[in-house]
Amino acid sequence: MALKRFDCLKAVAAACGDALAVSSAGAVTLEWNALRPSDGNFRVRTLGLCSSIALGMALGLPRRKVIALDGDGSLLMNLCSLPTIARMNPKNLIHLVFDNEVYEASGSKKTATGVGTDLVGLARAAGVKNAQWADSLEAFERAIRAAIAGGELCFIGVKTGTERVEVPPYPIDEVENKYRFLRYVEKTEGIEILKVNLPASYN
Amino acid sequence: MTSDEAARLIVGGLKNAGINLVATLPDINLASLLREVDEDPAIQHVPLCREEEGIGICTGAYLVGKKCAAIMQNGGFFNSNNAIVSTLLQYQIPLLLMIYYAGDVGDRTFSTTGALTEPVLQALGIRSYVMRDPEDARELIQRAQILTEDSKRPVALLLTKEVLGRRAPLKSL
Repeated sequence: MALKRFDCLKAVAAACGDALAVSSAGAVTLEWNALRPSDGNFRVRTLGLCSSIALGMALGLPRRKVIALDGDGSLLMNLCSLPTIARMNPKNLIHLVFDNEVYEASGSKKTATGVGTDLVGLARAAGVKNAQWADSLEAFERAIRAAIAGGELCFIGVKTGTERVEVPPYPIDEVENKYRFLRYVEKTEGIEILKVNLPASYN
Repeated sequence: MTSDEAARLIVGGLKNAGINLVATLPDINLASLLREVDEDPAIQHVPLCREEEGIGICTGAYLVGKKCAAIMQNGGFFNSNNAIVSTLLQYQIPLLLMIYYAGDVGDRTFSTTGALTEPVLQALGIRSYVMRDPEDARELIQRAQILTEDSKRPVALLLTKEVLGRRAPLKSL
């Protein structure tokens, strides 16, 4: 039975602490930002790259939880990220897929999952051992809490409906998102990422 | 110079420029270089299935403090174009692209790919430099890394057969 994506996102927001979050192009970004406004959120513009960007973050900061908020259309466009994630096997990456079986932001045409493609099956076949469907809100809440508390790569799929919740538009553009995210990581990790070099004449 | 010696110079140049994560997809002419990347403990090596995902991986790693390079063939650069435009350029993400120049002058295969490589880089506003001499690798990589960080745009280094050194003859398959 299809769940409401917004209810699932609430469960993620309640459990995720200061995890970094990468959200796929589409409405999931707006809903997530309404539920957990944070400079630790990164919105993706390239359909498909959500899981790859999250993988890069997880590899770069192995002690910080990173959550990918992915969709079926997005993952189907970048299926090769599944074997690469399995190969790198980052213990701190949680890959969530909200599978509503349509290209919601592009006119709601059916995706391949609407005619039988099984994304959890694909993740398992790619080598992600801990991959499961959550078939109720309670099961999803349990799975996300276990994933946050645990220390292994997790893939959680959930079938969601297509209803949208009224939420505000995304408040910042891509470049501001980048700078805020970088500064947030610098502050919370105590590291320096963006060093602005002085011109040689100042040295 | 052998391809192993050239690979050591190029990887030395990457490390000298601070690169510590490298995403790659193989080409036979990149074989020694990718082996050297893989064996170097100072570099986190991410082998890819398709080059476009590497653009995403390097973006995510950059956002948490890594210095990244992506090594691919020019066909893989074409595979990556949507991610380069709507992620690297749109968000102003620096990235060193190390692109094997198939179809370069004197190369017998992929002349169409070779013919379109520099025009496409130019159309995207990506500055590129052709590498011919492995002895120049350290200096050029250092300069390209300064340029990508300063401009907050990708910069491409085109790897020719010459810069990659003489590889051992292929065993017949």
